[in-house]
Amino acid sequence: MTTGNREDYLINILRLTEGEGVAKTTELATYMNVSPASVSEMIKVLAKEGLVNYEKYKGVSLTEEGLTYARQLRKKHHVLERFLTDYLNIDHKTAHEEACRMEHAISDESAIKMCHMMGTPVDSDCQSCKKPCKAVSEGVTRITPLNKLAQSESGRISHITSDDTEVVKRLISMGFVPGREISIETILSDGGPRIVRMGNATMALDYHLASHIFVDTAAESEQF
Amino acid sequence: MANGKTFKVALVGQPNVGKSSLFTRLTGVGVISSNYPGTTVEFDEGVVTRKGKTVSVHDLPGTYSMSGNSDDEKVVLRDLWEGRNDTVILVADATNLVSSLALCFETLELGLPTIIALTKMDEARKRNNIDIDALSEILGVPVMPVSSKTSEGVDALADAVCEGRARTSGFKIEYLPDIEKAIVALEDGLPDSLRFNKRGVAVKLLEDSEPFYDMIGTELKHTVAVMKKLYRDNTGHGLGIDIATSRYAEAESIVSHVVSENDTKPSLADRISDVMITPITGVPILLAVCLAILTTIVYVGSFLDEVVSSVYETVVGSAIIDLGGSSEFWTAVLTGIDGSIQAIMSLVIPYIMVFYIILGILEDSGYLTRAVVLLDRTMHHFGLHGGSFIPIIVGLGCNVPAIMAVRTVQSRREKVILSSMIVMAVPCSAQMAIIMGATGSYSGVIYAFGILVMLVCLAVITGILMNKFMKYEPSSLAMELPDLQVPSAKNVLFKTWYRIKDFFYIAFPLLIIGSIVVEVLLQYDLLNVIVDPLSPVIVGMLGLPAVCAIAFIVGILRKEMALGMLQILAGGLALEQFMTPDQFVVFGVVMAVYMPCVATLITMWREIGWKETIGVSVMSIVVAILLGTATNILLQMF
Repeated sequence: MTTGNREDYLINILRLTEGEGVAKTTELATYMNVSPASVSEMIKVLAKEGLVNYEKYKGVSLTEEGLTYARQLRKKHHVLERFLTDYLNIDHKTAHEEACRMEHAISDESAIKMCHMMGTPVDSDCQSCKKPCKAVSEGVTRITPLNKLAQSESGRISHITSDDTEVVKRLISMGFVPGREISIETILSDGGPRIVRMGNATMALDYHLASHIFVDTAAESEQF
Repeated sequence: MANGKTFKVALVGQPNVGKSSLFTRLTGVGVISSNYPGTTVEFDEGVVTRKGKTVSVHDLPGTYSMSGNSDDEKVVLRDLWEGRNDTVILVADATNLVSSLALCFETLELGLPTIIALTKMDEARKRNNIDIDALSEILGVPVMPVSSKTSEGVDALADAVCEGRARTSGFKIEYLPDIEKAIVALEDGLPDSLRFNKRGVAVKLLEDSEPFYDMIGTELKHTVAVMKKLYRDNTGHGLGIDIATSRYAEAESIVSHVVSENDTKPSLADRISDVMITPITGVPILLAVCLAILTTIVYVGSFLDEVVSSVYETVVGSAIIDLGGSSEFWTAVLTGIDGSIQAIMSLVIPYIMVFYIILGILEDSGYLTRAVVLLDRTMHHFGLHGGSFIPIIVGLGCNVPAIMAVRTVQSRREKVILSSMIVMAVPCSAQMAIIMGATGSYSGVIYAFGILVMLVCLAVITGILMNKFMKYEPSSLAMELPDLQVPSAKNVLFKTWYRIKDFFYIAFPLLIIGSIVVEVLLQYDLLNVIVDPLSPVIVGMLGLPAVCAIAFIVGILRKEMALGMLQILAGGLALEQFMTPDQFVVFGVVMAVYMPCVATLITMWREIGWKETIGVSVMSIVVAILLGTATNILLQMF
């Protein structure tokens, strides 16, 4: 059994258990596209090493040690992925796949150096590869949260983020959807609501709600 | 389906697309349509006969999407799921086609037989040209241009519905390849018994739409969960966002194909809107509007009140009471009826009618939503957001629809804060009539205004304190601003009429029954048992005559009866001899604050739960007694 395979299991258990605690072996099998038999095989090995807890019928979860290990791994993944997308202009899907393979080979030290080279340190343990990783890279896009946009500025919605899925759902259902043109009509006061225009609709949006909407202003004005 | 049975039609559309107006046009049944989102909270049904068919039309709440994640959306989905509608009329706003199409795609995806009604055509034509045939061809369902304002196309739409011209469309949105793969995989696992199209259900599941989870087994639920995680890991996006993105992209591409935009420069309405929203100019305008509303209600109200009473005096006089002849019992009953008619006449015509006309104008002009935006920050101090202004304003008419409108705020916490403010500090028409009729007439208008100022302070303090002591939950404003327009007199009067009619339905039976019960109780001296136990509070603390307890108890049944009750309790004495001007001030204060009426209590119990209802009621009684006592002490000092 290779290190890579072992680590793949750890990172995938992390992805599945984040927030919920326990992953079913069948779930893990579907998720990783492997047979349930090989999952139970590997789980036994990992449990012996003290990286996971396994209870029959309940499922598998990471131990404290396993969690640290998996998180470290995921940071490496993010650093590599960001390098590929932002510096080499590789598309997101390919970058993810290649990062999945390289994460096992790169040393901690190299990963940290690579991270420093790119400027902003990847110390946020983000749950998955979010689009903002790409967005923050300078020059390609100019992503600003909607609440930081000045009056009569405009752009295209690039993405929406919030830890609260209800907020995301609410914004989407009102038509705040990536790709749409949006402009600030009026700002009532610094922390006050924004009046925005999308297509033919005028909307009033709370300052904090607006901070979840990211706008690419370069996409609209085409100036780099 | 059409063989003698009722033909079922549901109206679906986003908020403020003109759905309720269209419903009224189609069925002749009045639904209050307003120029702000969220008018239809549950849904209305209208039944009409056309071309020998009985057609039942449901006006479903306006929702931006059909994800089923809000109460309104659940109502819509339940009706579409269980209603077995023969036709869904998708009401699309011709002046804002992109958003309307996004909702339209959801209906078409679910495989519902659809006709699209393109509303506000009169307005849209001024701005652009829409190639309706092309739109119909792309979407694969009939598209009927209508205007509720000019009645254009309404008959044609009704005919199309009755002739069964609704179609299920083969229209498909091509989602991203990964999503399409997931959809196909899910479709295979779905049972055949679904009433919706499988593809549509699969998309809804991937969008994380709650109600659809009930239709599938645990195994499939797991698959969906894994698919969502997998998608997020592979792409870095949520499935829901990407699905919505594709929908809007498709909508925009269709619109660019079928709509040729005319040159639109900022109109006069846009500039006025700016002036209304910019705080420097907007706040003075808002204050002026509020003052104007108050003065109109107070002066026009009390003027009309006098007119109505004198007309009643000359036309009816004591004719009703005289019918009782010499029977003591029947005289009591008839006095009750006479009193109710007078009370309702002097309440409905002067205060409620005037208020509802003003409310109608505020709604239809689009000003109310501007006020909401302007007040957003202020409301944050009370733990609310600007949207709460609408229930408060509505509460000036009647607390029942106000409490119902509380549903539009999101968190429980806001619901409780807002309900407390409405119950205690927002005087409904009946309370306003008492403040004016009792305090205003017998103590002076200045005292009546004093009470109103006190209520404003009470609202502010209640909001600030409750905000401080209740656990914080975030809440925020997101609301569409409809274009400003000159309200149509017809629509305003129509709405006023329907609102008054509703009020009659709730109030009149209660009032008549209540009055008769009270009269009979009085006739046989049955109410006096409560006078003594309550007198320490009424006499000792409030400094009122002990019998006022009866007026307060009766006031719980219907607020406006309290003043009439006082008249009866005075037992032939003129009111100004029965109580001193100071006592009328205290009476006005207590009446304005204490205990919601029965109808409001029931509504509140339904909306925020019985524990909170009891809490709010008890709090209102305590605050009313404290404020009344304080007023009493203050007045005696000076």
